[in-house]
Amino acid sequence: MTEIGQSVPKKESNDKVTGAARYTADQSDSRLLYARLAVSPYAHARIADIDTSAAAGMPGVRSVLTGTLSSVLVGEEIRDRPIIARDRVRYYGEIVAVVVADTEVQAKRAADRVRVRYEPLPVVQTPAEALRRNAPILHERLGQYEKGAGVVSVPGTNIASVIRVRKGDAESALRACEVVAENAVSFAPSDHAAMETRCATAEILPDGRVVIESSTQAPFTVKRYLAKYFGLPSGQIVVRTPLVGGAYGGKTAVQLELIAYLASQAVQGRKVILVNTREEDMASSPVHIGLEASVTLGSDREGRIQAAYIRLHFDGGAYDDKSSDVARAAAADCSGPYGIEHVWCDCLTLYTNHPFAAAFRGYGHAELTFAVERAMDALADKLRMDPWELRLRNAAIPGDTAPTRDLLTPSNLGDLRTCLHRMRALSGWDGGTVRQVDAHRVRAMGISCFWKNSSIDPDASSGAIVTFNTDGSLNLETGVVEIGTGTKTVLAQMLAERMGMSTDRIHVKLLIDTQITPEHWKTVASRGTFMAGRAVLRAADDAIRQLLDIAACVLRAPTDELAIGGEKVYVRADPNVYLPVKDICYGYRFPNGNTIGGQIIGRGTYTQRRMSVMNPETGEGTPGPEWNVGAQAVEIEMDTRDCTYRIVKAVSVIDAGKVLNLKGALGQVMGAMSMGLSFASRETFLFNELGAILNPSLRDYPLIRYGENPEYVVEFVENPCLDAPFGARALGEHGLIGMPAALADALSRAAGTRLNRLPLFPETVWRARMGERP
Amino acid sequence: MIGFDFDYYAPGSVGEAVSLYRQLDSLGKKPLFFSGGTEVITLGRLNLAYTEAMIDIKRIPECRALAASGNTLTFGSALTLSELHDARVFPLLGETGAGVADRTSRNKITLGGNVCSRFIYKEAALPLLLADGEAVIAGPAGIRRVPMSQAFNRALQLAGGEFLVQMRTGAEYARMPYVTVKRRKASAIDYPLVTIAALKAPSGIRAAFSGLCAFPFRSAAVEQLLNRTDLPPAERVDRAAAMWPAPVLDDIKGSAPYREFVAKQILLETLTAWDGR
Repeated sequence: MTEIGQSVPKKESNDKVTGAARYTADQSDSRLLYARLAVSPYAHARIADIDTSAAAGMPGVRSVLTGTLSSVLVGEEIRDRPIIARDRVRYYGEIVAVVVADTEVQAKRAADRVRVRYEPLPVVQTPAEALRRNAPILHERLGQYEKGAGVVSVPGTNIASVIRVRKGDAESALRACEVVAENAVSFAPSDHAAMETRCATAEILPDGRVVIESSTQAPFTVKRYLAKYFGLPSGQIVVRTPLVGGAYGGKTAVQLELIAYLASQAVQGRKVILVNTREEDMASSPVHIGLEASVTLGSDREGRIQAAYIRLHFDGGAYDDKSSDVARAAAADCSGPYGIEHVWCDCLTLYTNHPFAAAFRGYGHAELTFAVERAMDALADKLRMDPWELRLRNAAIPGDTAPTRDLLTPSNLGDLRTCLHRMRALSGWDGGTVRQVDAHRVRAMGISCFWKNSSIDPDASSGAIVTFNTDGSLNLETGVVEIGTGTKTVLAQMLAERMGMSTDRIHVKLLIDTQITPEHWKTVASRGTFMAGRAVLRAADDAIRQLLDIAACVLRAPTDELAIGGEKVYVRADPNVYLPVKDICYGYRFPNGNTIGGQIIGRGTYTQRRMSVMNPETGEGTPGPEWNVGAQAVEIEMDTRDCTYRIVKAVSVIDAGKVLNLKGALGQVMGAMSMGLSFASRETFLFNELGAILNPSLRDYPLIRYGENPEYVVEFVENPCLDAPFGARALGEHGLIGMPAALADALSRAAGTRLNRLPLFPETVWRARMGERP
Repeated sequence: MIGFDFDYYAPGSVGEAVSLYRQLDSLGKKPLFFSGGTEVITLGRLNLAYTEAMIDIKRIPECRALAASGNTLTFGSALTLSELHDARVFPLLGETGAGVADRTSRNKITLGGNVCSRFIYKEAALPLLLADGEAVIAGPAGIRRVPMSQAFNRALQLAGGEFLVQMRTGAEYARMPYVTVKRRKASAIDYPLVTIAALKAPSGIRAAFSGLCAFPFRSAAVEQLLNRTDLPPAERVDRAAAMWPAPVLDDIKGSAPYREFVAKQILLETLTAWDGR
């Protein structure tokens, strides 16, 4: 292979580093109107009155929208959310009014003049509070909401969804185990903190066509739901998405598009743009889910785990949107990457008065993994066993079954044992001893394993179109949104590899236009290279077949004796007999003008094979095609007095199946590790007792910055997935997954106390050492 | 985006700035002196700052002064924290200022802006409190020079229409042993849990604090106990900690017990190190 594996720079890099790249909000147009939001300062309150008269009378104001405008309820899994709050607000930052004006300043000034009278209601702030017997009920009409397949709610409670896994009989098996360890963990919701805040425009043309531009990972979903919510013919909806400036799952939810659509409707269809401020992006738009969990593991004295019981209570926030599906993904992989015969899981998604959750890089797996891996460490402690050894002994292998009861095979399961061995070698893991550096500083290491299946809709599809230029170069169009992962470049490498040409000669289309771009379900779940990759290879094969058909006539040779490479179609046995691709990609013209064939358009689509929806009572089903695995380590140096610490080194060994673009893959994994360490060490929303967010700005919401990063060590194992293009397994999210658990493990060793609550601020560690519940 | 309109003035002299303020104030423009502008931008977009007239003092030569003449060091209020750091004229001031925000922001944030900040930390004030600094303040009544010990009480005490022109201090302070330590909640860039600047003057150890209480301070009572060399350092620190001028801050950056613990540890390290010399 010549193109696959090369560190081809991203196609869009020059545009990005020079500032030429265009994002959704980068537009000015004299016809544009601007929308600004008024949001709730209460986490739970009845809206007694909204007075928009002052706002409506401000200069330049075209319309002021409130929740009374539309009775449509939205949400992907449960339709429980008004587009603009109606009668009641359920989280701090919830949108209560939208002003449309000629300029952004006018819209902001008017939005500041919207007067709302609230009657505060008691708040629910944690899953435990949500489950309390007299807890305020957030959604009295839960029983009447329209729900997606497999969503089981409990009307009359705050339980948005219940999912159970019942593999074997964990209850009895746990009772029979020689050693049992239980561990509980928790963390509050946090932010995605993408550099580009979310934004959308909407325009309704005179003939009824609706044109949306959005910084979204899911333009085709926006189209589908817009049609569904407003009863529009889907052919009349066009969604366009240019480059997206970071997404991390936060741009999967359909939110601002709906507001922009209503706003445009309110101003006779004129184009309206709505760009989140940073504060709105943090508090009003969907966030990263919170969790309270406990995991009980039972093993024999040699550390062979026989049974696991996992309780996951997700803090889905005020509306369900995708949180019950994040929970479902966590439940599907609830055992972690271990071959355990008896696995039970009770997984609830709770309504709370927190911002609602969207997908977050890892889709439930960093959350689940933190719970499972902290329990693994607790079990290792109890067994007095090297936690690395415990993990190796229980690593899932082909022949085991997943919690979904899928049979694990060498293709659908990554090679965790090799990852563990390489992780030990690269990190210098020595069993978890704490080394004294000087009088007040110690060094300690923590480890974690993970697995992740990418579960998406069973009928999700991806398509690709390949066209030619007259110089023989190619154009590649797919529905994958370029969110910064470099997927479009990797897809170009795949096409180049299959065509036997250079990636330099493949032009990729970055803009998505749902009217013409073939659909890629959503740019989520590390499915870009897998699904779009398969579609691209099919499109390449389709184009090659057409090229060979024409060349066969001209060269007077059977197609099965022809091959393609170096932008030529040639006779395999005699490459001196050939035709340049550029001479046949628009048909072949004989010297007298006769032409055979025509322009060549290659097309390919791909849908995953034999996927099925998970049974919410038992966990049975096949929600995804492959479990990718990895082993990670984090080394820290801590001052034992104030518990400040420095992350020294972080190691990831991941089964990549096949590395498609080495630098790209390293970048993805290191970026994800950084995100995981940032989440684990400092990222959280801080709520006051009324549920207001105290830090909805980057002034008070810290992120890891350059210079604070540890040394990153990343290595790949290559054990191919036979379904994937070139054997490549998913990679985009995985570096994040084990970081929180590994960091907590390392700090727990250094501090000499078990840390189970994120984020791990030095003060949190200090308090735990002082004997307070962290 | 800032949701209000304002006029922008860039006076070239102290007198012009003062009279502009008076004039604009009488027109009800709620004038505001500014220098780096970072707070006006970040608070203005949240409607937490408002003005209809901004008076930029960066073009006033005195505000840009950086001089060591005779035994006096002069720092113009419009010098950026980056300039103060890079000049290395008064390392304690430069390094304490370098703990504020990030380098890109410090290229804008000025000495005067930090000392007169709307936020409670004002860390650049600490070295000037320690070094018996003098604030040069301009206003309708002309120029007045006030010792920091009088001028700075929780915040710089400015009357209406006044602005800080310069800070001055004796050159000898720049040669004394010093310590400046900033501890943050988690990140390398944040407001302080505690910032402590300390100076070992011939008369004894001096220490000033930010982040510990709701305002920056230097306390004679605290310093007196820190200088009780008849006592072991740990006891001096414990006794000093009983003398904070206000309750220890307890907020989203850190609890009062942890802030106090961190402050005491920094003091202990400082005293232990200086006792040994």
